[in-house]
Amino acid sequence: MRKKSKWLALLLVLGLVLAACGDGEGGDTTTAAGEVATDVGVDLEAQTITIGLLSDLSGPFAPLVQVINSGHEIYWANVNANGGINGLQVNLEVRDTGYVVDTHVQLYEELKSQVVAFGHSTGSPHTVAINSQLQADGILAIPLTWYSGWSDPDINANLVPHGVPYCIEAMNMLEYLTLEAPDAATLAIASSPGDYGEDSNAGARLAAEELGLEIVYDGTGLVDAADEATLAEVASGIAGSGADLVWVTTSPTPFGSIYGQALAAGFTGALWSGAGPTWNPALVGPESPIKDALAAEFYVSAYYAPWGADSPGNQEVRELVEAAGADPLDYYAEGVIEAKIMEQALRAAYDAGDMTQAGVLAAAKSLESVTFDGLAPDETYVGEPNDRVQRAQFISRPDPAGLAEGTSTGVTLIESMYTSPIAEAYEFTETCFSLG
Amino acid sequence: MRGRPLLHTSYESDQALLNTTAKRVMFGILLLILVSIPFRVVPGLKFLGQEDWLRLLSTTAIFAIGALGLNILTGLAGQVSLGHSFFMGIGAYTAVWLGGPVGGPFIGLGLPIWIWLPAAGIVAALIGIAVGPTAVRVRGLYLAIVTLGLVFIGEYLFRNWNSLTGGAQVGRDFPRLQLRLWNEEAPLVDFTTSGSWFGLDLSGTAKSFFVLTLLALFFTLLAKNLQRTRVGRAFMSIRDRDIAAEIMGVNEFAYKLLAFGISSFYAGIAGALLASFVSRVIPERWDLFLSVQFIAIILIGGAGTVTGTLLGSAFVVLLPRVVQNFTLWLQGVAVQGEGILASIANVFVATSSNDFGLVNTFAGVGPGLSVAQLNLVLYGLLIIGFLIFEPLGLYGIWLRVRNYWKGWPFTY
Repeated sequence: MRKKSKWLALLLVLGLVLAACGDGEGGDTTTAAGEVATDVGVDLEAQTITIGLLSDLSGPFAPLVQVINSGHEIYWANVNANGGINGLQVNLEVRDTGYVVDTHVQLYEELKSQVVAFGHSTGSPHTVAINSQLQADGILAIPLTWYSGWSDPDINANLVPHGVPYCIEAMNMLEYLTLEAPDAATLAIASSPGDYGEDSNAGARLAAEELGLEIVYDGTGLVDAADEATLAEVASGIAGSGADLVWVTTSPTPFGSIYGQALAAGFTGALWSGAGPTWNPALVGPESPIKDALAAEFYVSAYYAPWGADSPGNQEVRELVEAAGADPLDYYAEGVIEAKIMEQALRAAYDAGDMTQAGVLAAAKSLESVTFDGLAPDETYVGEPNDRVQRAQFISRPDPAGLAEGTSTGVTLIESMYTSPIAEAYEFTETCFSLG
Repeated sequence: MRGRPLLHTSYESDQALLNTTAKRVMFGILLLILVSIPFRVVPGLKFLGQEDWLRLLSTTAIFAIGALGLNILTGLAGQVSLGHSFFMGIGAYTAVWLGGPVGGPFIGLGLPIWIWLPAAGIVAALIGIAVGPTAVRVRGLYLAIVTLGLVFIGEYLFRNWNSLTGGAQVGRDFPRLQLRLWNEEAPLVDFTTSGSWFGLDLSGTAKSFFVLTLLALFFTLLAKNLQRTRVGRAFMSIRDRDIAAEIMGVNEFAYKLLAFGISSFYAGIAGALLASFVSRVIPERWDLFLSVQFIAIILIGGAGTVTGTLLGSAFVVLLPRVVQNFTLWLQGVAVQGEGILASIANVFVATSSNDFGLVNTFAGVGPGLSVAQLNLVLYGLLIIGFLIFEPLGLYGIWLRVRNYWKGWPFTY
C-alpha cells in the first residue's frame, strides 16, 4: 500500500513539472515585410486571409442562408481572381450553427483562433450570446439579423449592422401604406415571437400613434410556425377585426397560411405588408392559390434592391451569379453586401498597416461610408447612433406573371431608398426592443 | 492476494469502487490526463487544450451529469423517460430565478452559486416527485408518452413565461460560474475569466473545465455509490421484474418515485450548469431533441452502467466535431490530392454546387447533406446499430476488448 501511494505521488509531481514546462504559445503579433501587423487569420507568407461565417445551414433559415453563403463565395471568388486584398487571397471558413445558441457559441470558440473576422453571425439571441466574448477578444462580426439593438451604442462595439432595423422598417412601410390608402383608419398587427416580431411591432405601434391608426388586433408573438392552431387564431383575429391595414412579421410559410385563411374567411380589401423575411417569391408561384390576391393587396419590404433593379450594384450581382451558372434569386445580394462591408474593412485595415483582429475591427468601425452602388443604401459606422442608424429601404409589389415567365424574381420595384417622414424624424438613441 | 486480483476475500474488497489494481492505475492516469489537458503537455492530446476543445470537454462533463441522472431512472430502475429536458429546463430557470440580477428586466434574486446550484437540483427533484405518481402508474410505452407530454407542457410554459425565461426566441442571460459568499460585487472565485491560480496562468475556459470536471466526478461517485446500496439494488429489481420485486418487499411506488426524484435532481443540476456555461439560452433549448440526445447517450454508452454513460456522453458530444473535422479533411483530400484516396473522398464530399457527394462542405447551395444533418443521420444509425448488435453499448465493446486481453494469447 505504501509503495503504491509513493508511486502515485511521483506521477503527480511529474505531471506538475511537465505542466510547468507547457509551451506558452500565444497570440503574438508579427510584423512582416510591408509593415503590416497580423495575428490570427491573415498569413502574409501563404498570402491568405481567412474569414469566418457562422451560418444556419440546417435550421429554420437554412434555405435563405445557403443562398447568402453562395453570394459570399461568388463575390470573394471574383475578388480573389482580381488580385485579392492587395495580393492576399480570401478564404471562407463556414460552420453550421443549426440555429442553436450553444452550438453557435461553441463554433465561435473554434473559429476565433482561425479567422480575422466574422463575415456574418446568424440570429439575434445567438449573436447576443457571443457578443461579450467578441468584445473580450476584440473581433469584428457582421450580424445577419436586422434587430435594432445592433445600432445601440451599448451593444454594438464589435458589430457592424446594415440595412434598416425591423422597427424603423415598420414605420416606413406603414406610412407608405397610408399613402396608398389615405382613408385607412385601423391596423391589425401580428408576429412571430422573439426580437424579430417584438422589435418590428414596437415600430408599428409608434407609427400607428403618429399616423392616427387604431390598432384593432394585436397578435404580437402569437404566430408559431410549428403550430397550425396559432395560425388559424391569428387569421381569424385579423379577419374579424376588419382592419384597413395589416402588418405581419413572420416567415413565408406561416404568412401564406394566415393570409390564405383570412382570405377564405372573406377578408379582402385591406392592404397587407410585413417585415422583409416574411416574403418569399414562392408565395406568388404559378401553383399558389393566393398569388392574384397577394398581387393586389401585398407590399414587399426589403433591405436591399431586388434582382432586376436598375443599378450598377445589381448589375454586378447579376453578372457574378450568371457567370457562376446559378439561377436568379434576390438573396445573393445579402451575401454580396456582407462581403462588400468586409472587403472595405480589410482594405482599410491593410492601408492602416494593421491586419490583426483588433486592427480589422478598428478599421471597420472607422468606415465613414460603405457604398453598395445602389444595391443597398450606403452605411456609415462613425458618429452618433441617431446619425448612423439606417432608415432607407426598398419597396416592391408582387409580380406573379413575371415569375411565371421567368422575367423577374417575383417582384417589381416601386420605391428605391425609401425613407418615410416618421422614420426620418424618429430619434434613435437605443434599441426599440430590449433583449435583456 | 497478490497476483490474483479477482479473488476477493471480503465484501469490502468485492464492492470497492476500483476493485482491481489495473482499475486503480487507469483511474489515476485518467485523472492525471484530465488535470494536464489545459496545460497541453500530453503528446497527441495537446489539441484538447485549445479553447474550443476545452469547451467541448466541459459540455461533455455537463452532459455526463445529466446522463447519469437518466441512467439511474432508465438504466437502473428501468423507467423510460423522454422528459429529461423538461427537468433540465426547470433546473435552469430555478437557477436564474435565484441567481439572476436584481432589478433587471427579468425575475432574479441575485443569490450566489452555492444557493442556486443545489436549489436547481432540489426544485427539479421536487417537481419530479410531484409528477411521479402519474408516471409510476404506467410503464413502457405509456410512460414514454406521459413523459413526452412533460416536454411539451414545459416548452409552452417556458416560451410564455416572459418575466422568468426572457420569452420565446429571445431568452435571457444566466448567472455565470462565479463563487460569491453573498451578493458582493467582485466574486470570490471567478471560473469564467482568465487569471492566475496557484501560480499557473489559466484561461477562463480552463477554469470552467476544471470546476465542471470536478462536479462531474463528484456526481459520478454519487451515482456509482447509489448502485451499490440497498436503493440501487431495489431499483434494479424493479427493472428486472417489478412484480417479483414487490413480492420481495420492495415498495415499488416509493422506489419509482425516488428514482424520478434522483434522476430529476441530476437533470436540474445539469440544466443549470449548461445554461450558466452557455451564458444565454432560449426557451426552445429544452426541447424533445435534447431528451433524445440523452436517450442516445445511455443507449450508445450502455444502459445501466456508469462507465458506459460517461463514454456515451463523450461520444455524443464529441461526435459532431469529429465528423466535422473528418469531412473538412476529406474535402482537403478531394480538392488537392490525386490518386485513389482523392477519388474515394470525392464520392463522399461535394466540393462545389455541380459536384455530387454525400456531404456538402462548401458554403452555399447545392446537393448533399450539411455536416449537422449528417450527424442526425449518424445518431439514428448508431442507436439502431447498438440496439441490434451491442445492447451493452460502448461499455459492452470495452468489456469484450478487456476480456480478450485478459486471456491473451489464449483467446478461448
